[in-house]
Amino acid sequence: MRKKLMSILLGAAMCMSLLAGCGNSAGNSQTTDAGSTADSTAQTEGTQPDASDETGDTAEAQDAASSGEKITLQFWNVFTGSDGDILRGIVDNYNKTNTDNIEIQMDIMPNDQLQQKLPAAIATGTAPDFVLFGVENLAPYVSNDSLEDISDFWEVTGVDKSNILENVLELSHVDGKLYGTPMQYNVSYLYWNKDLFEAAGLDPEKAPATLEELAEYAEKLTDPSKNQYGLALPTSVTYMQFLWANGGDADDPATNTNLLDSEENLATLTWLQDLMVNKKVSPENITGPEADTMLQAGQIAMYMSGPWQINGLREQGINFGIAPCVAGSAGAFSPAGGCSYVIPKGTEESHRLAAYKFMQYWLTDDILKEWSQKNGFPVWSKTLMEDPEIQNDEVLNSISKATEIGRSYNLGYSLASQIDNDVMIPMFEKVMTGAATPEDALKEASEAMDKVLAQ
Amino acid sequence: MINNKGKRKRYEAQNQKSAYLFILPSMVVLSVFVFIPLIASFVISITDMNIFMKDVQFVGTANFTKLFADKRVTNATFNSLYFTILEVPLQIGLALLLTVCLAKNNKYSKLLRSIYYLPFVCSMTAIGIVWSMLLDPNMGLVAYWLKQAGIDTIAFLKDPDFAMPTVIVVTAWKGFGYTLTLLAAAVLNISQSLYEAAEMDGAGSFHKFIHITIPGIWPTISFCIVTSTISAMQMFDQAYVMTQGGPLNRTETVVQYIYDRGFQTAPYDLGYASAISVYLFVIVAVITFVLRKFILSRGEDADV
Repeated sequence: MRKKLMSILLGAAMCMSLLAGCGNSAGNSQTTDAGSTADSTAQTEGTQPDASDETGDTAEAQDAASSGEKITLQFWNVFTGSDGDILRGIVDNYNKTNTDNIEIQMDIMPNDQLQQKLPAAIATGTAPDFVLFGVENLAPYVSNDSLEDISDFWEVTGVDKSNILENVLELSHVDGKLYGTPMQYNVSYLYWNKDLFEAAGLDPEKAPATLEELAEYAEKLTDPSKNQYGLALPTSVTYMQFLWANGGDADDPATNTNLLDSEENLATLTWLQDLMVNKKVSPENITGPEADTMLQAGQIAMYMSGPWQINGLREQGINFGIAPCVAGSAGAFSPAGGCSYVIPKGTEESHRLAAYKFMQYWLTDDILKEWSQKNGFPVWSKTLMEDPEIQNDEVLNSISKATEIGRSYNLGYSLASQIDNDVMIPMFEKVMTGAATPEDALKEASEAMDKVLAQ
Repeated sequence: MINNKGKRKRYEAQNQKSAYLFILPSMVVLSVFVFIPLIASFVISITDMNIFMKDVQFVGTANFTKLFADKRVTNATFNSLYFTILEVPLQIGLALLLTVCLAKNNKYSKLLRSIYYLPFVCSMTAIGIVWSMLLDPNMGLVAYWLKQAGIDTIAFLKDPDFAMPTVIVVTAWKGFGYTLTLLAAAVLNISQSLYEAAEMDGAGSFHKFIHITIPGIWPTISFCIVTSTISAMQMFDQAYVMTQGGPLNRTETVVQYIYDRGFQTAPYDLGYASAISVYLFVIVAVITFVLRKFILSRGEDADV
């Protein structure tokens, strides 16, 4: 009976994540994506108040506070999950307290919907004043001349850019020009369920550190009779951390070269296929949101994902740990990602300056601290890192170690999404389902890569 | 005489003018949502245009050359045909079978017909989500039951070989109630005297079905075949919701690939996506033409 009830509950939870899942598909392609941020936490969706409810009294308060002409900013973003509630709280608070008579009207939508609407809106001059999305989207917009170059941001606002970690700031640049200001930064971590580790006779405080350990632990933690899996490896995701760990890579965006066809990659893919097909440590063909749900239900012992898992795991009372992605012969790496505030082309000057003000507000340590503490996102403001509260936060501490190994995978490269969807994801899927031998899958992917790079 | 004729012409012309006025509202709607997009997609298909709509260039047939070399187009075409060839007969066969039992005007038949009609009124998205929940190998109810019964779990939507058949069965399950309603209405319209005459000639219920019922409802059957074939060739939502085209692109249909090229994969190549749309348009047009010709001629024979 209990099991039945459980399966119904799980079904309902899965339904929620699928609901979110259909709103997001481009987002699934990268674990470090803003889209999946939104997805994985979508369970609490629907509790947020409507933007229009809030704006009425705010407007009055502002009229009294300031005599300058009122500026209303349209703001689109992809934060459909519980992190969206926190963002809305911050924006509402800004609307109430700012002295520049600025009112921000926020519009939240799933990532793929935003990606459909925004280009057309920019082309027809009906775009919002500023937008918040994953940095992997920057390059296609820049190459189509659809975003404002905001290199003058530091000069205009007086924000000290040297206080922001270099690698985080770099994500908002394309070809050396600034197109956005950082909002959050993340890499993929290794989450592990301490209770399941203990039950399997492993040290619950020690996460695997190498590829060998990962495979060994995953095998020990898999128990088909209990529907329990050692390591969730969703398809429709790229596993750059594995390729990099052994010294392989996909491509070099700087020189447009194909780096797929290598001994290192072949070894990694062979290892991966063995793990999936022979050892069956992961449920077959699951999607990211499904893996999130199973992790929260305690059916999965280890899983690699971004910071957005933390809130869900806390809510479900899972006893979990966070470790860096595992190392191979060449070291440990993890794909980096993040979100930036950007300004669409054609935003008028006064609105652009007003948007600068909000970006500046976001970059203050108070806001960054609130965001990191509530959502478990790593801290990248140098002064904030010195903050004793941040330094004593257990989750943020384990994260900051795991964040050090962040590495850019085709960020800022206009072919990134095509490489993912047409080359890398099919390759990993074929290897992981056993539909092709690692040799054939790699060869086919390498040919597909040549085609994409030739454009 | 001449005068009279002129009058009549004027009268006819007036009559026609008001006729145009009556079709104006639907013409406006059709133009905005069908004709203009149709023509636009033909035009876009011969250009190099992305979703940003900047630097649009005329490229002639380049998109079409690319299309015929694209393995994913072949794969998607195969999947669409595979879906259509199995789904349409399944749905219509199931409906026909139940029509035999339920084409009566008693309460029981009416109730069952309404129940079978229910899934058709529901949104495909909702149905897709419910079924993928039920059929999920890790968390689903069906998998749980199968396990209790000692049967090895089939991964259904997660298994490359079972995914498409599962989508087909779910779609047929959703649609057969509609076909059933149409067919039952047609059957009820057949004159009872035909059946009585056949009985007098000593025909059994099987012969009555083959020789009276089927020919009597043939126009309705052919209507159902044509419309469900067209919608099956344009299948999108069920696979999008239940499988996202996977596993291994085994459930990716032509429409899904169009959506993927146009809106999911940068550089959001609208030109190429439109070229695939034109390709699909031609396929559907040919199939419809052939079906109509074949089925309608048979229908006329049957009428005679």
